Amino acid sequence: MSDVAIKVENLSKKYRIGNNAHSTLRDTLSNLISKKKSEEFWALKDLNFEIKKGEAIGIIGRNGAGKSTLLKILSKITRPTTGRIEINGRVSSLLEVGTGFHPELTGRENVYLNGSLLGMSRSEIKSKFDEILDFSGVEKFIDTPVKHYSSGMYVRLAFSVAAHLNTEVLLVDEVLAVGDADFQKKCLFKMDEIAGIGKTVLFVSHNIDAIKKLTKKSLLINDGSLEAFSGNENVINRYYGSKLASNYRKYSEDSIIDSVEILVEDQITIICSYRNLEVPNFPHLGFLISSLHGEVIFGSNPTLSNKSISTSYVSSGKLKINIKSPVLNKGQYVLSIFLASHSKDLFIDEQCLTFSIPSTLNSSFGFVSTDCEFIINE
Amino acid sequence: MEDQHFFIRLHIMEKTIIDAESKSLLPDFGEILRYRQLLFSLAWRDIRVKYAQTYIGLIWAFINPIFNLAILSFVFGTVVKVDTGEVPHLLFTIAGLSAWTYFSTLLSDAGSSIVGAQSMIKKIYFPRIVIPLSKAISGLVDFGVTLICLIALMFYYGYTPGPYILWLPLFLLLALFSGLAGGILASALSVRYRDFSFVIPMIVRLGLYATPVAYQASAVPETYKTIFYLNPMVGVVEGFRWALFGTSAPDPLMFYSIGIIFIIFIIAIIYFHKVEDVMADIL
Repeated sequence: MSDVAIKVENLSKKYRIGNNAHSTLRDTLSNLISKKKSEEFWALKDLNFEIKKGEAIGIIGRNGAGKSTLLKILSKITRPTTGRIEINGRVSSLLEVGTGFHPELTGRENVYLNGSLLGMSRSEIKSKFDEILDFSGVEKFIDTPVKHYSSGMYVRLAFSVAAHLNTEVLLVDEVLAVGDADFQKKCLFKMDEIAGIGKTVLFVSHNIDAIKKLTKKSLLINDGSLEAFSGNENVINRYYGSKLASNYRKYSEDSIIDSVEILVEDQITIICSYRNLEVPNFPHLGFLISSLHGEVIFGSNPTLSNKSISTSYVSSGKLKINIKSPVLNKGQYVLSIFLASHSKDLFIDEQCLTFSIPSTLNSSFGFVSTDCEFIINE
Repeated sequence: MEDQHFFIRLHIMEKTIIDAESKSLLPDFGEILRYRQLLFSLAWRDIRVKYAQTYIGLIWAFINPIFNLAILSFVFGTVVKVDTGEVPHLLFTIAGLSAWTYFSTLLSDAGSSIVGAQSMIKKIYFPRIVIPLSKAISGLVDFGVTLICLIALMFYYGYTPGPYILWLPLFLLLALFSGLAGGILASALSVRYRDFSFVIPMIVRLGLYATPVAYQASAVPETYKTIFYLNPMVGVVEGFRWALFGTSAPDPLMFYSIGIIFIIFIIAIIYFHKVEDVMADIL
């Protein structure tokens, strides 16, 4: 028997955007007469890699890079457009918290339902039931309909089922973010244990710390292509490096936003150049600054800031955002950009740039520096 | 014990091959068989959920057919006074209604099942066909309820079934295949064309009158008979009554509607398998 768990060759996946997504009979009939063009979009481009049995592999990449599409193809939810995949052993996946759980059914009934969704027989689920229950920590509520569960309890039970059944490959998307820190730790430990007994774990996360703790090797996916597959240190550096290399990002020709740049000097300045903008009002450009783990620290847009909005603008130009406060502490941060007009999204790029603040004059705890006085009352 | 288990698992370790190029015409029946537990789990879920949170629970399962029976036997038995031979109209109607209700519930439940399960389909893999198939099991509960009403009425009228009763399961199986054939096809078609969510209720409403539920098939003029028997449920409903009461046997034209059922069933399976791969993408 070979020691390969997953072998992926020339894997690509194409999606159609637009017309064909939701068609009615009328669309199909009218398409027969005049062929409407639908846009193509390659979510994954020519991926090749091999994962050995018992390896725990992290998958990192920006939002929309193709991480979830890869998991969906590996778990057979959707078919690849080209390529071939060989998986040795049964696959269980946890792509979203409590899918297949029915709110009206009790925890116990949902465990059986979920187990059979993963292809388990009743006796297999039965033999694992106590372990699942024990791990989930929802014993007291196992006979309560899950609609009364908190989202944390939901994810605990769902993860327990996926992790305890007799499958050789476990695919986990970013779902653990829902649970509390204690349970996250427990899950990471469990995944570690699963990998320890020769099972294969693939784990998608934005949480680089979690990836580091759980895995030794990672896949870095960027715009649908495999950019790196090696030891964590190397891959994570590349992940940050690819964003850190410049504080500048340029978009394709047909994008309404031409480029985004972030300058870190005494204050942070975001410069965003746009083109062919035809909106009645001042371009509604918003931004968010978040930590590497995805927590939003602060953000704003012209309406919220409500200051000095000039009503006239040119259709192609540059928009500048000066961030006077708060002052960020030393560390790495992620910028997201949004452009909207009248509640219609024109452009969204979550995590478009990663930037670092080299050092700050007055340091304090947390992400932002605080200006405070300590007074002793006599 | 654990070791032994481990070895058994090693031997039956599955190998999954996903190849973009190769695409079979027929689904992997072995895999569907492996997921048989899911068939029952989904059916159990449907039954549980249907009557959960209702105050009188399963009693609703009785109220629905009794209402239908009351309306049909008032219109056809009391107002129009159709000829039902020696069988009392009420008994005659419930026999037809039990078969018809099973078929129509199966057709509409299976037909809307894939669109209804889209959140699951997008996030978990399992052979999709299990979803419409499971409706054939959950529908048996409502069928069982009408059957209980039927047996009660037979007692009341003092009817004892003859040897033909042994044919009853066969006709039930035919109702199952008819419902599934239409339901599977409709569920796959509605992935792309939601229009079918309007078509199925229309067929069901029309079908109740185009099927001899409350009247005899022999009342249909000879000229329309061939078209009439195109409806597979004509033979099934007539067969039900023949098996129960020993009335006139169904017309041999029935064999040709059985043929049609199986052709539609095979087309449905092949088309469903074709659409299966893109379900998660276009739902």
